[in-house]
Amino acid sequence: MSDRGRIWRMSQRIRDRQLFGIRLKIMLPILILFLPGMAWGFSDPEIILPGGHQPSTPMEVLFYASLGVVFGATMCAVLLSFDGISRDRSSGMLEIRLAQPMPRKHQATALILGHWQAIALPVYALMLVCLIIVRYRMSEWPSAVETLVYLLSTGLILLWYTLFALLASTSAKEQGTAVAFGIGVWFFFTFLWALVTTMVAYASGVAIGEANDPAWVALEGALDLLSPNGVYHHLLETQLPSVDRGISAWQAWVGAAVWTILPWWMLHRRMEGLVP
Amino acid sequence: MAEPLLTFANAEHRHMISSATFPRPWKKVKGPGIVGLNLNVYDGCVLGLVGPNGAGKTTLLRMMAGILPLQGGTVTARFSSSQPEHVDDLRQWVGHMPEQVRWQGGQTVREALEAIGDMRNTPSKRIDGLLDLVGLNQRKDERLDNLSQGMRQRLSIAAALLGSPKVLLLDEPFNGLDPVAAEAFTQLVKRLASKGVAVVISSHMVAQLDQLIDRIALLHRGQLLDEGTLEEVEGRLDLSNRYRIKGKGPVDIAASLSEIDHESLGFEHDNDEWTFIFRGQAEAVLNALMESATVTSWSPVPPNLVELLCAATGMEVEDISLEVGSSAMLPMRISEVSEDE
Repeated sequence: MSDRGRIWRMSQRIRDRQLFGIRLKIMLPILILFLPGMAWGFSDPEIILPGGHQPSTPMEVLFYASLGVVFGATMCAVLLSFDGISRDRSSGMLEIRLAQPMPRKHQATALILGHWQAIALPVYALMLVCLIIVRYRMSEWPSAVETLVYLLSTGLILLWYTLFALLASTSAKEQGTAVAFGIGVWFFFTFLWALVTTMVAYASGVAIGEANDPAWVALEGALDLLSPNGVYHHLLETQLPSVDRGISAWQAWVGAAVWTILPWWMLHRRMEGLVP
Repeated sequence: MAEPLLTFANAEHRHMISSATFPRPWKKVKGPGIVGLNLNVYDGCVLGLVGPNGAGKTTLLRMMAGILPLQGGTVTARFSSSQPEHVDDLRQWVGHMPEQVRWQGGQTVREALEAIGDMRNTPSKRIDGLLDLVGLNQRKDERLDNLSQGMRQRLSIAAALLGSPKVLLLDEPFNGLDPVAAEAFTQLVKRLASKGVAVVISSHMVAQLDQLIDRIALLHRGQLLDEGTLEEVEGRLDLSNRYRIKGKGPVDIAASLSEIDHESLGFEHDNDEWTFIFRGQAEAVLNALMESATVTSWSPVPPNLVELLCAATGMEVEDISLEVGSSAMLPMRISEVSEDE
C-alpha cells in the first residue's frame, strides 16, 4: 500500500469510528435544528430581519443560515475531535501507534482528515437539505459558484476547528484540559470576538456599533480576518455583491489559506515531538 | 558470544521537564532519563531489563522502539546485512508492547489489529496467523470492551508482532496476568526466541523472569549498572556460591566449620529447626554439618533484585527505595568514593 493509501485507510477508520459513534448521534439533532432549521426560517418569503432587511436571493439565505454552521457545526467539530490524541494517550494506544513505521506526519494527516470527514460528511448532507429547502421555498437554486463557495468555505471552517481541537489534544494530558481548550477557543471566536472588535474600535476612536459608519465597517472587516468565523463570513460575502466591508476576495482567500496552513503545520510539528 | 543484533553506544535520552521562571514560563530543562547507555541485544536471546520503579526501563524501551529520539550516542544493527550498520529509525524492525494498553471501544479484536496492521502494510493472512499464535482466534469477533485483562495483554503482543519484528520489546508484560496466563505468556516468548527473535522484557519481578531470560540488565536511575548472563552478573557482584542449609536438633556451626573456609551470611533458629546461609564450598560445609547435626535440606540461594541492586550500587535498600523518584543523574558506583568526596 502506498503512503497515500495508508493515510487514507487510517483516516477512514477514524472517520467511521466517529461517524457511527454515540457522540454524533447526540449532536445530530443539534445539527438538524441549526442547519436545515435556519435555512427553513431564513427562506420564509414573509421574513423581515431585525434590521428591516429581507433576504431576497438564495445566497443571502445561505449566508444567514451559515450562523448555524458557526454556532452548531463548529461546536460539533470540536466535540468530535477534542480527544483525538489525548484519548489514545491515556489508553496506551498512542504508544502503539507511535511505534509503527508510518511517519508521524502521515499519522497527523490521517487524524486531521478522519476527524474532519466525521463532521464534514453529516454537515454536507444537511447542507444539501438546506439547498433543497431554499429551492422549495424560493423557487430558485443558488448558482453553481455560490454553492461551491458555500460548501468549500463551510468545509474550511470545520477543518479549522478540527485542527484547533486536535492541537489542544496533543498538549492535554487528560480529557478535561483538551475539552476546555477546544470549547474555550470556540467560545472565544464565536461569542467573545464581538467584544474584542468593540474594544479595538473604542481604542481606535471608532464609533461603536454604528452599522453605517464606514470606519466601523472597515475596522470590523479587517479584524474579522483574525478570526476563523470572520474569515468564513468574508468567504461567503465574496458571493454577496451588496456587501462591502473593505476586504477583497483575494484577501479573504489568503486569510483562509493562513488559517488552514498555520494550524496544520503546527499540528505536524507537535506530532513530531509527541511523547506518549 | 555471537555478534550482537542491535548495539546502543553511549545512548542518551533525558525527558524535558518544566522549569518555569519569571521571564521564561515555558522554560524546560533536561530531567531524568537514560544516560551513557551501552547495551547489546542478541538474536534469539531474551534480555531481562530489571530495576526498581523509576529506573528508566520504560524510557529505555521507548528509545529502543523508536518512540523517543536519541539525544546522544549511536545505534547500529545487523537487520538487513551481516555487518553492523548505523540505524536511524528502528520502528520498522522492532515490535513494541507497552505496559497495560486499555483496548477499548466497539471495534472487534480483528479490526483493532487490522487498524495497526494498516500502518505497517501487514497482510490479513499474517493477522490470522497472529491471532492463532496468541490464542485469540476464537475471540477475533469479540468487541474490545468485552475482553479480559489477559486477553488484552495477548492482543498487545499480537500488535507488537504485526511487522514480523526482529526485536520484540515487552514492557511489564506480566502485570495483571494470572499464573496460568503468565505461564502461557512465558511459553510464547520462549517460542518466539527459539525462532530467532531478540526479546527485551522489562520487569521489576525477577522471580518471574528467572525461568525466561538468558541475560539480565540492571538499570537504576537511568544508568545501566551491569549486563550479562545471570551467572556472570552474580559473579561480578559477588553474589554467587551462596547456599542455604536447613536442619533440626542441636548444632554448633562455629565448631563444626572451624576447619572449613566459608563466609557465614546468617543463622536462624526457630524452635527445633535451624537455617544456615553461607558463601563457600557447599560440599565441604554440607559434609561437615552432616557429621555433627541432622541436615534436612540444602539449596543454592539465588539473588533477588534488591540484592542485585544493592550490590551493584553499593547502597542500602532504604537508600535505593528512597531515591527512586529522584531526578538527579549521578554516577552510581559510589562504593569506591570516600566519604570526604
